[in-house]
Amino acid sequence: MIDVAPEYDVIIIGGGITGAGTARDCAMRGLRTLLIERGDIATGATGRNHGLLHSGARYAVTDRESAAECIKENLILKKIARHCVDDTSGFFLTLPDDDLDYQKTFVKACQNAGIKAEVIDPEEARRAEPSVNPAIIGAVRVPDGSVDPFRLCSSNIVDAKLHGAHVRTYTEVIRLQVRQDTVEGVEAVDLRSGEKLSFRGRVIVNACGIWGHHIASLAGVNVGMFPAKGALLVFAHRVNNIVLNRCRKPANADILVPGDTVCVIGTTSDRVRYEECDHLSVTPEEVDLLLGEGMKLAPVLAQTRVLRAYAGVRPLVSADNDPSGRNISRGIVCIDHEKRDGLKGFVTITGGKLMTYRLMAEQATDMVCRKLHRDIACQTATTPLPGSEKGGIEKVLKKVWPTPTLTQKALLGRAGALAGSLPQEEEAGGSDLVCECEQVSVSEVDAALKHLDVHTLTDLRRRTRVGMGTCQGELCSCRAAARLARKASDPALARTQARAFIEERWRGIVPVAWGETLREASFTEWVYAEVLGLDDTL
Amino acid sequence: MRFDTVLIGGGLSSLVCGILLQREGKKCLMISAGQNALHFSSGAFGLLGCMPDGTPVDAPFEAFSALAPSHPYRKIGRTLCESYADAAVPFFASCGIPLQGFGRRNGFRLTASGSFKRAWLAFQDVPFFSSDDALDGKRALIVTLDGFLDFYPEMLSDGLRRRGVESRCVSVHLSCLDALRGGPGEMRSVGIARILNRETNWKQFGREVRALLDGEDLVIVPEVFGLEDRIVNEWIAEMIPAQVLYVGTMPPSVSGIRVQRLLKNAFIQAGGTFLMGDTACDPEWAPDGTVRCIHTANLGAPGIEADSFVYAGGHLFGRGIESHPDGFSDPVFGLDVVCDADRASWVERGFFQAQPYMGYGIGTDERFRGLKDGRTVENLYVAGAQLAGCNSLQEGSGAGVAVMSAMHIAADILKRTENVGE
Amino acid sequence: MSENSINHFEQCIKCTVCTAYCPVLGVNPAFPGPKQAGPDGERLRLKDKFYYDPSLKYCLNCKRCEVSCPSGVKIADIIQSARRRFNDDTPDLRDRVLANTDFMGKMARPFAPLVNKVVSLRPVKKVMDVMMDIEQERTFPKYRSKGFDAIFRSDFAPYQNRFPRHVAFFRGCSTEFQHPETGIAFVRLMNAVGIGVRLLDEKCCGVALMANGLWHHAEKNARHNVKVFSEAVAGGLPVVAVSSTCAFTMRDEYPGVLEVDNASVRESITLAEKFLFEQVDSGRVKLVFRKDYASRIAYHIPCHMEKLGWSIFTKELLQMAPSISLKVLDSNCCGMAGTYGFKKENYPYSQAIGRPLFEQIKSLSPDVVCCECETCKWQIEASTGYTVLNPVVILAEALDIEATCAANGGFVKA
Repeated sequence: MIDVAPEYDVIIIGGGITGAGTARDCAMRGLRTLLIERGDIATGATGRNHGLLHSGARYAVTDRESAAECIKENLILKKIARHCVDDTSGFFLTLPDDDLDYQKTFVKACQNAGIKAEVIDPEEARRAEPSVNPAIIGAVRVPDGSVDPFRLCSSNIVDAKLHGAHVRTYTEVIRLQVRQDTVEGVEAVDLRSGEKLSFRGRVIVNACGIWGHHIASLAGVNVGMFPAKGALLVFAHRVNNIVLNRCRKPANADILVPGDTVCVIGTTSDRVRYEECDHLSVTPEEVDLLLGEGMKLAPVLAQTRVLRAYAGVRPLVSADNDPSGRNISRGIVCIDHEKRDGLKGFVTITGGKLMTYRLMAEQATDMVCRKLHRDIACQTATTPLPGSEKGGIEKVLKKVWPTPTLTQKALLGRAGALAGSLPQEEEAGGSDLVCECEQVSVSEVDAALKHLDVHTLTDLRRRTRVGMGTCQGELCSCRAAARLARKASDPALARTQARAFIEERWRGIVPVAWGETLREASFTEWVYAEVLGLDDTL
Repeated sequence: MRFDTVLIGGGLSSLVCGILLQREGKKCLMISAGQNALHFSSGAFGLLGCMPDGTPVDAPFEAFSALAPSHPYRKIGRTLCESYADAAVPFFASCGIPLQGFGRRNGFRLTASGSFKRAWLAFQDVPFFSSDDALDGKRALIVTLDGFLDFYPEMLSDGLRRRGVESRCVSVHLSCLDALRGGPGEMRSVGIARILNRETNWKQFGREVRALLDGEDLVIVPEVFGLEDRIVNEWIAEMIPAQVLYVGTMPPSVSGIRVQRLLKNAFIQAGGTFLMGDTACDPEWAPDGTVRCIHTANLGAPGIEADSFVYAGGHLFGRGIESHPDGFSDPVFGLDVVCDADRASWVERGFFQAQPYMGYGIGTDERFRGLKDGRTVENLYVAGAQLAGCNSLQEGSGAGVAVMSAMHIAADILKRTENVGE
Repeated sequence: MSENSINHFEQCIKCTVCTAYCPVLGVNPAFPGPKQAGPDGERLRLKDKFYYDPSLKYCLNCKRCEVSCPSGVKIADIIQSARRRFNDDTPDLRDRVLANTDFMGKMARPFAPLVNKVVSLRPVKKVMDVMMDIEQERTFPKYRSKGFDAIFRSDFAPYQNRFPRHVAFFRGCSTEFQHPETGIAFVRLMNAVGIGVRLLDEKCCGVALMANGLWHHAEKNARHNVKVFSEAVAGGLPVVAVSSTCAFTMRDEYPGVLEVDNASVRESITLAEKFLFEQVDSGRVKLVFRKDYASRIAYHIPCHMEKLGWSIFTKELLQMAPSISLKVLDSNCCGMAGTYGFKKENYPYSQAIGRPLFEQIKSLSPDVVCCECETCKWQIEASTGYTVLNPVVILAEALDIEATCAANGGFVKA
């Protein structure tokens, strides 16, 4: 479909939240837009963080500019991305080990940045959130929340496509076409078919996060990045319904975020080499540190099952020799390479964070528009993402599902008002369950396979939460793989995808393989290997 | 309360041991904390499918000598293992469980993904062959049921195609399953089997399949028949003019549940006492280091005394051993667990690689009596998956170790009391 | 993670065994099943009460899922606790009538003959069916004009002081209002083995209140009972019940579902069969059985008895009687589950669940069926026509009272 129109106003490289947001913004401003992503959407830092809807409070003391950006975007996302956001509020807790004086500094800094920070009685904090460490000596309430980064990224992609953008996942840019002082297009390879492709674009946007360093080098320019690894642990259920932060200077493992059916503790922060970014693993030391610190925030974590561990790389832009990267600004870096390097038609958007993706996209799109001499205003701050329309969910509950089943409720939670348009009852068996832990039905899986650029089970997981529950794919991977194989008319996929998915899930389990998590893995292994024979080479 | 033998665990190993003892007049109590691994049976019993290094094994007994000396089979010895193996088939038949087998050689079971797995014995109706080319050149009709997501015809068909077996996938709609399918519950093998147990329903299935058959030699269906009694499988086979193969699929296992019930009934019929849903705890020790009595969560005080105790609590799944961030332990008696100390070496990064933790278990002496702080507990035997010394999943030896160790322990207990009698 | 971990629902490793043993799942497709309604659903409910699913009401609370669970997950507790925390529906008149077993019993007693007659009249049943959704096929258990309490006070209380040791008897609503003969048998048994009986200032254990959503009332009863038991236990008296459901509720549902702490008395709450067996087993008591009492008995183990794990005591006791031939029935739910089967919407499921049990009883054709639970009794009697007796009644009949008294220094007033 895109081969017939290979020339675009703008080509965005990178399908993380920044690229997705930029694609949406560009498309909404009427630009002919192409997004190219080497893997699936939201595979880099976008999908590998806390999913914290920052109020900005965390940066209030150390990075006032970021803090102010955060609170502004926080309020915007609560309006335009309702179905991706959980407006939980957050606490900054002072433990006996911490300096209570810091609380005063903190509250003042929040006020300066425009963040509502309300000191509350520790007793009230314990009542509002029973999981908090009963020993706390101070508590401040801030407007933190949680955000589902997969859902947010996918919604941006969906809206970009609705506005005419083209999206190619599993397509890797291997060369930038540079003539004299201008980048004119990209050469890429379709990683699934092996086909070589080339696209012409008037402006190329490098939105590759930490991998932006590499794309910039293809254009012969340098973007100095600071790859800072952050490791996190996922617990098997929500122990808290309010985000818990340590009220101290940002440090390791001091945020516990409830996200959908789980909660996440993180992070660590350590510089890694570029080459490691594609093969991160979480070490036993990191696991022990995260657990140990996490228990200080919420002691019940000591008895809570750890589901898996993962790590991401923050795309920080080099500033100084800070070994951890904790002191580098989370501010947005939008580089016009024409100005900086004399290279026309090439823009890098990086730095920033999940929270400020929309603002990053706006700044990048503004720059693209200036280059294209278009003067169109940004509307992303006021236009809700698909499914997030005000009153949309209520309308579905009134008109489509007056007595929703649990599966329908779960779908509403994930897809927002879009849930109502799913052909739930049209096809017989649409309500059959694929994923029992997360209540994902056949019709939701089919819709994702059809509309949401899903090529692997892992892609499907990012769209629907299939396999994200406590069984980690034990019951659903074969069901989903069979569905995927049928849709793709390729029976071989049933086996290869089920195997690949269970391997992918296992990699996240390995660092936390003990207790019920290991017990469940042993059961899965018995079923997959001994009963189903999926370990055999055919 | 006093018994001759208290058995902890209600799975294959415990039941075999308990039935043998009870039939010899020993008063036995079995304590089972919930249902057991037979509920996830593959439909076959493995003895030794491959060596620890991954080499496939066709003649398991001949391969014993190459196993490590700490392996349970080596502790029993080949000759005794062979005699137990010979006794196993009539034993299970006496419990109402006829088994298929090929003597002392491994057979091949067709899995739901189209591969062939080596096994020792298989339940009736399980596709089990003397060689892995038994289906070559045949044509198969793979039948699933509308709405049943735990059977994957395309995967099976693809697997068979790679072996040169051509197949066609069809799905039949059975109106008797509509209610089950329309509801919020899951459509599982056992739920379907309950419904298909009724005559009008399995007959409808048989008719539908017969109509769809187009000269195929084989009909492959998921194992959703024969929960109460496998006679239904025979009736269906009579209706369909082709060989009908029932392939086991996702848990729970219909035939496994049937076999578990038959074994449990055999134990109770022999006079044994079975406590379901109860957990053994708080053993009391005699001054000589033997177990004096055990308690259970439900029965509380006073303790249950016995001459001997058989501990067949299973592996991680049965919670016969438990893992923590800093090690493995036995939750009931605190026996020694043989394992690696370093957490990083418990697992391999590839899911289907031989996982070291699967080989961990309770250390015993040569007679399978448990070790506590390195010393033998004279009247406490350890059986089945709980034993150290074998990676039963990787070797395909789970059922074999369960049955052999159970028989060996039963013989030891009987011999011991005979000696006392003298 | 221990069995008592507050996060025990995480011990679920999705093995699906519970779904194979849930009696409701087999007959009512509207029920999501124990795994989904329990541990799976709990994760979603922790996110928001929006995810509470009203179909949890179809759970019988028979606990068979818990008995079968290899992972120690208290599945039915999770479901009942979710109903308690999240179900906003206020119980209607029908549910209140069914739930308040003690209040209704007290109200009905003075008019017992009339009430029994009225509620058994076809037109009245029809009206109750239409107006209150109480199944018209059901027959209400008959209320007695003179309750157990009154009988005990006039016939037994005067001489209970003569025994050297005593038990506190939790008689329960059905003994008090419908089946005083069970209580009389219990007192005769105890007295025969030389043990005196004291009554408690008890309130209904609360099981019917819980089933019908009257959580607050149930909790109040639980607190009252725990307090009363504490006094008895402090005086050295074990609390002995004759209904397995009462005993189970007071031991396990108080802490597990109602969150009422009973740790100080839990181990002292027992059932007549367990208590008596332990007395015999420890040699403190000797039972002498009649030679002329022959009976073929089919023993149905009620669901809550399965959960308690105490059927072993009943079996052992009944087998002590030389001329009793005992057949233990297959482990199946009768389908009544307290007040569940009385409700019109549940009636067909209730009957379907019980069918295998009814068929087995009919095929065995025993002299009498025996079980420890009164609602199982009603269901089995109504569905099979066989008489169902509490083991205590059977034991009292099978015992040679005179010889037993002689062996234990007991005394039973003729």
